[in-house]
Amino acid sequence: MNHSIIFPVVIYLGGAFLLPLLYAKNDLLAGIVTSALTFLSFLVSVLLGLTVFTTGERILYFAGGWQKPLGIALMVDPLSCLFLIITNFIAFLIAVYSITYTKKHSRAAYFYVLFMLILAGMNGILISMDLFNIFVFFEIASIASFVLVAFGLRAEELEASLKYTVISFIASTMILLGLAVVYGFTGTLNITAFMRIAAGLPQTHLWFILGLFLAGFAIKAALVPFHAWLPDAHSMAPAPVSALLSGLFIKVVGFYGIIRLATNIFGSIPQIRVVLLLFGILSMVLGGLMAYGQKNIKRLLAYSTISQIGYCAIGLGIGGYLGYLGVLLHIISHAFSKSLLFLNIGAVEYMTGTTDSDKLKGLYDRMPYTTALASTGMFGIAGIPPMGNFWSKLIIIFSAVQAGYPGIAALCVLVAVITLGYFLKLQRTVYYNKASDTAKMLEAPSGMLAPMTVLAFAAVFAGILLIPGIRSCCLDKAVGVMENFSYINVDIGD
Amino acid sequence: MIIYLLVALMVFIGLYGIIAKKNIIKIIVGMNILGYATNLLFIVLGYKWNGIAPIIPQNITVERFVQTAVDPLPQALVLTAIVIDLGFSAFLAALAIRMYAKYGTFDTDKIRRLKG
Repeated sequence: MNHSIIFPVVIYLGGAFLLPLLYAKNDLLAGIVTSALTFLSFLVSVLLGLTVFTTGERILYFAGGWQKPLGIALMVDPLSCLFLIITNFIAFLIAVYSITYTKKHSRAAYFYVLFMLILAGMNGILISMDLFNIFVFFEIASIASFVLVAFGLRAEELEASLKYTVISFIASTMILLGLAVVYGFTGTLNITAFMRIAAGLPQTHLWFILGLFLAGFAIKAALVPFHAWLPDAHSMAPAPVSALLSGLFIKVVGFYGIIRLATNIFGSIPQIRVVLLLFGILSMVLGGLMAYGQKNIKRLLAYSTISQIGYCAIGLGIGGYLGYLGVLLHIISHAFSKSLLFLNIGAVEYMTGTTDSDKLKGLYDRMPYTTALASTGMFGIAGIPPMGNFWSKLIIIFSAVQAGYPGIAALCVLVAVITLGYFLKLQRTVYYNKASDTAKMLEAPSGMLAPMTVLAFAAVFAGILLIPGIRSCCLDKAVGVMENFSYINVDIGD
Repeated sequence: MIIYLLVALMVFIGLYGIIAKKNIIKIIVGMNILGYATNLLFIVLGYKWNGIAPIIPQNITVERFVQTAVDPLPQALVLTAIVIDLGFSAFLAALAIRMYAKYGTFDTDKIRRLKG
């Protein structure tokens, strides 16, 4: 029995419990402890990755030492391990960044408690193989994120948090109703056992369950008909939280669930792909167009997130080796670039006190290093050739052409141009123009610049994952999980 | 059958409260009704007419126990779900108080500083 699988959750839950007892008054120490724990968790997930990626095997674990069908089943396979590594890596950098950022907040120790609860929830979702367990971790992550969105207690933050909470409650109720229906039809909540019994159920029952789950996860992933909460919540949260929510949260809590539903659980229902393509096109186009007119830079980035998650939904809807490869690479490189941009605009807000693109001018003269990092992130998301997102968008477009959807491929290209357009406009009006003569140098503190630099390098070099030798040992195995794996084959005893 | 219709009715009442009402407190009440509807569905699924508590008495065989006892798993799940609902309600109530202090109203039509 490999016990290391539960550590990514246990480390964070233990940390979130002990932190307010030990360091409630000492914000600096709380930040350092949080960073250390995130790094520890990153190491554990890398160790898990070494096992999982070299052997290509799943690690199966039954909590509490119960025998096979009884204990709560936890599982790490290449797909979830890829997400685990990315999540904990970016979370570590965000935690380091927060040490400097939260100097202006009072009671920052509680910020770290909630931060770790989000991470515990996200890691828990990634390792769970039991539907109710996934629901509980989903709620842990969600409730902690509502509180963090309202952390600054300004009127707009409270309003954003209210919207986010109410819409998320509907999402969690949909998933809980889905769980009740699953339990009513099959009498189990283990995914494998559910699938074994569900094979004999009428198709309409599966449609009902799929609809409930898809609605719940799509609200979390902010696909367009369900997106109304995202621009408010992501633009009003403190910068490290925006980076965590936009870079990781919607992908791990929302989109990872959709990936598992569409490929490993309900892969036999082809209509889900049509739904995903529809949601994806809507998200991609509307998110891109809405981002164009935004004055608040964080709001622009939030709409850009909706647009980019649309690309992922399209890739998943098209499917096949190329589609899945594109989805995974897009998720990874977008996580790097978008966290970088949110941290970056957080540094600008920290130094100048505003995120309004009308009030900011000539940032290149005042904060050259921050501006360079911002440009890296923007070119990353827009898809300028050496960056990871260029390759992922290219692969998704190729897969669309190959699968016989030239119209979708054309739309993808068009939205890529729109993306480049709004980022170039932002650069022209905010970064690369002349500052007023009285403006002073305002370079962000090095405690913020260091994690952003690491993220920028990661965003530039994410394309390395495509080099055949590296691809065959990590991305290909994760794609293999999406293509061939079905939970029905997992050995959970009888 | 009629009890499932009752659950469906409660779900729709809860959704109506969340979507149509303008007062934050009424929205919270709507959310609670929606949560109770889900919990009720779970309990109904595990219920048996004239069932016994799911603790094995000494003078009964396991087969007979399985036939007569109510299903304990939905009850455990509902306990967890109730705690999560409690978290939602408590947080939203605190949020409502803070928002009343900032905006001076519970009316969501007047709480509209974020748009676009």
